[in-house]
Amino acid sequence: MHVIYAFGLLILLAFLGSRLIIRRKRFLSPLTFLFLSGLIYIFVGFYLGRGVLNVLSLPVLQGLTPLIGLGLGWIGFLFGFQLELKYLRRFSGKYLGFSYLQFFFAFTVVFFGILFLLKILYASEPPFLLYGMALALGLLISLNSPTLINASLTLFPTRGQYFYLARFLVSVSGFWGVVGLAFLFSFWQFPFLESKVFISGMIRLLASTVFPVLLGFLFHYLTRKKNQEPDLLVYLLGLVFFVSGAAFYFNLPPLYLGMVLGITFSNLTKIQEKLYPLLLSTEKPLFIVFLILIGALWQFNIDYKIALLVVLTFVLRVISYTLSLPIIGRLLSFPLKLSPAFGLSFLSSGGIGVAFAVSLQLAYPLPLTDIFLSVALLSIITGEILSPLGLKYSLFKSEPEEKT
Amino acid sequence: MIPLIFVFLCMLFLKSSALFPFTNPQKSTSIALGFILLFAFLFGKQINRFKLPQITGFILAGVVCGPYVMKFLSSTDVKGLQLLDGLALSLIALTAGGEMQISRLKGRLKTISSIVIFQTLVIVGGFILFGLVARSIFPIFSEMTAPTVFAFSLLLGILATATSPSTTIAIINETRSHGKYSDLILSVAVVKDFFLIILFAFSLSISMSLTSISRNFDVSFLLNILKDVGLSVGIGLVVGGSIILYLKYIKKELTVFILSIAFFTYQISQSYHYHPLLICLTAGFLVENFSAQGEKLILAIEKSSLPVYVVFFAISGASLNLDALKAGWLLALFCVLLRGAFKFLGTFFGAKLARDDTRVQKKSWAGFISQAGVALGMAIVIEESFPGWGGEFKTLVLAIIALNQIIGPVILQRFLVQSGEAEKKGLD
Repeated sequence: MHVIYAFGLLILLAFLGSRLIIRRKRFLSPLTFLFLSGLIYIFVGFYLGRGVLNVLSLPVLQGLTPLIGLGLGWIGFLFGFQLELKYLRRFSGKYLGFSYLQFFFAFTVVFFGILFLLKILYASEPPFLLYGMALALGLLISLNSPTLINASLTLFPTRGQYFYLARFLVSVSGFWGVVGLAFLFSFWQFPFLESKVFISGMIRLLASTVFPVLLGFLFHYLTRKKNQEPDLLVYLLGLVFFVSGAAFYFNLPPLYLGMVLGITFSNLTKIQEKLYPLLLSTEKPLFIVFLILIGALWQFNIDYKIALLVVLTFVLRVISYTLSLPIIGRLLSFPLKLSPAFGLSFLSSGGIGVAFAVSLQLAYPLPLTDIFLSVALLSIITGEILSPLGLKYSLFKSEPEEKT
Repeated sequence: MIPLIFVFLCMLFLKSSALFPFTNPQKSTSIALGFILLFAFLFGKQINRFKLPQITGFILAGVVCGPYVMKFLSSTDVKGLQLLDGLALSLIALTAGGEMQISRLKGRLKTISSIVIFQTLVIVGGFILFGLVARSIFPIFSEMTAPTVFAFSLLLGILATATSPSTTIAIINETRSHGKYSDLILSVAVVKDFFLIILFAFSLSISMSLTSISRNFDVSFLLNILKDVGLSVGIGLVVGGSIILYLKYIKKELTVFILSIAFFTYQISQSYHYHPLLICLTAGFLVENFSAQGEKLILAIEKSSLPVYVVFFAISGASLNLDALKAGWLLALFCVLLRGAFKFLGTFFGAKLARDDTRVQKKSWAGFISQAGVALGMAIVIEESFPGWGGEFKTLVLAIIALNQIIGPVILQRFLVQSGEAEKKGLD
């Protein structure tokens, strides 16, 4: 199919998709949440892609690469834009420490667990590939999506401390994971551990940070004076495209660069209120187009090895979150008493998880990459399906008096 | 100016040969898109300071950054980004249709129709004559057969007749002009574009038959043209009807809806050889005049179209074949002067016949010089329809448009100031 038809088809699907995602009060059913989070469009993309209809064939997907780049940069920007110091300062240092330790536990548990299984399942593969995949899955599982908690606002009319803690953690957790992704991109070079890996890694990390920071300042400079909405849209799209394009061009993580741009800008500007409606109006269609493209890129193949990895990833996720939270609470002398069930609020990785997986898949076309994408996407989808139930048995139990 | 220089230096650094070993050249389209969107827009803003329209800045930015000058955008990038052409053209045509208000046209119908008809006759006729005379003078015509020269001149004449309603609207808004002359210029520009799109559809078909060995010009061929135009208008009515229903009953996600409609209309009609510009113009006209949704449509387009226009005009500039332009600049300049003279004559005779006042007869030609979207869109269609000489044609037209876009707005602004309709201070 010609690339322009595919592009048009994507616009139409984006339009239909944005109409189909209906916000409902009673959303806590797994299937509804799959629609609500938009992840269902991965299946739509898969159906249109190489796996089934081949409407979005490989040449077409290659032609649409800029859209994937934009999607990654866009998700990063949206995430970073919400990380305002003004907002974070409302919470005590213990909250930030909690978030970091939660990330560290989840990452460590999944990394070692997955590495153990990978060494058994793929013994013939070079070790650096197995380490890379374990690192990536560890980082992926440490990410949480705020979609579910935000969508459950209506179910918690009198929101208590547990709700706010969970909301804070899911909002911030992505930061650690995306920073980890930047480290992975910078230092995981081939051949691994070559003589100058540290210097070249530091240069890449510095470039990945300085470039979007500079553009963040530029964005602020451009929007200091009063701008009309269309002008603002041009600046926004231009900068996000420029940053994610540069990332693609130099094999840097677009998600990280987008996030740094978002953080820099949101902490400099005073026009957040003006920009939010603009971001919201473009977010949904762009996100759906992005997910469809990801689905089309996905070379789905399932065997017992992949199934085992998916199951183990999910089990390790549940273990790491349920067991770590009470321990972290005690370590930090946290004022709230946290039960293991509270950890079940953190089963959803959402769009940021998908973006994370795809960043790696696009940057490293290696023998295990397709397997990694399958494991990552299946784990994310499993998490999304079960996350509403997890929330039901965690927050609802923590704050039973607030249940509507 | 600082942001413009900053973005330029950033790209210069990122594309430097020292960094080349660390790059992935196959993935350069995203960075090209981000850069050109920012750079062209900022360049347009700077150009605006010199009382020139932003569109001129977008095109010039594309020329500077394109494959012939700075090489920030490779030919592959330019080709990849031309994906947005159809979308931009449909949006321009929808806007032009939406600006055609029957109420505005009613009072001055005689002058408007007279100027439109005379301008078209004088310019098209003049360019055909010019083509036949200039065949032995300009090298571009030397290898063409007589029917090809005729087709080339006919289409050039049609394109030369076009004026840019979007530039006209922008200048009128910018100078805060109100009154008889502003209304007349805008109405003529919009009506002429509508008329020209139909005329273009006929001329294109005639030119295709003239330059093709296998097809002869006969009555059935004319009927086919009529059928295409009729069906295009019909499809336009259906598209317009759908837009009205959507805007009236659904109302949500207008941006995505308009973008989808614009894109699909263009691509599907192109595939089935209908006239996408005519379809969109009809749709816009229907929504504006036969429903209460016209304002909503224009607002939805205005809200989302700017990034598309910036990239569209910049990529048009980047795709300008400077090597060919270098060889044919004399012809382009000559065509611009000739067009100006024909515009004066057409407007003068048209206004005189309609017995309008002396200022309209002698000065209002100044309002019809600027050229942009529709002419550019036609040039792109011609490039695709005539693989043999379409590229040269588009290059010549782009050069003419670029020159007209620099001169036109300045002359229009001067006319509005002199006629006393411009309210903005400091323009005289």
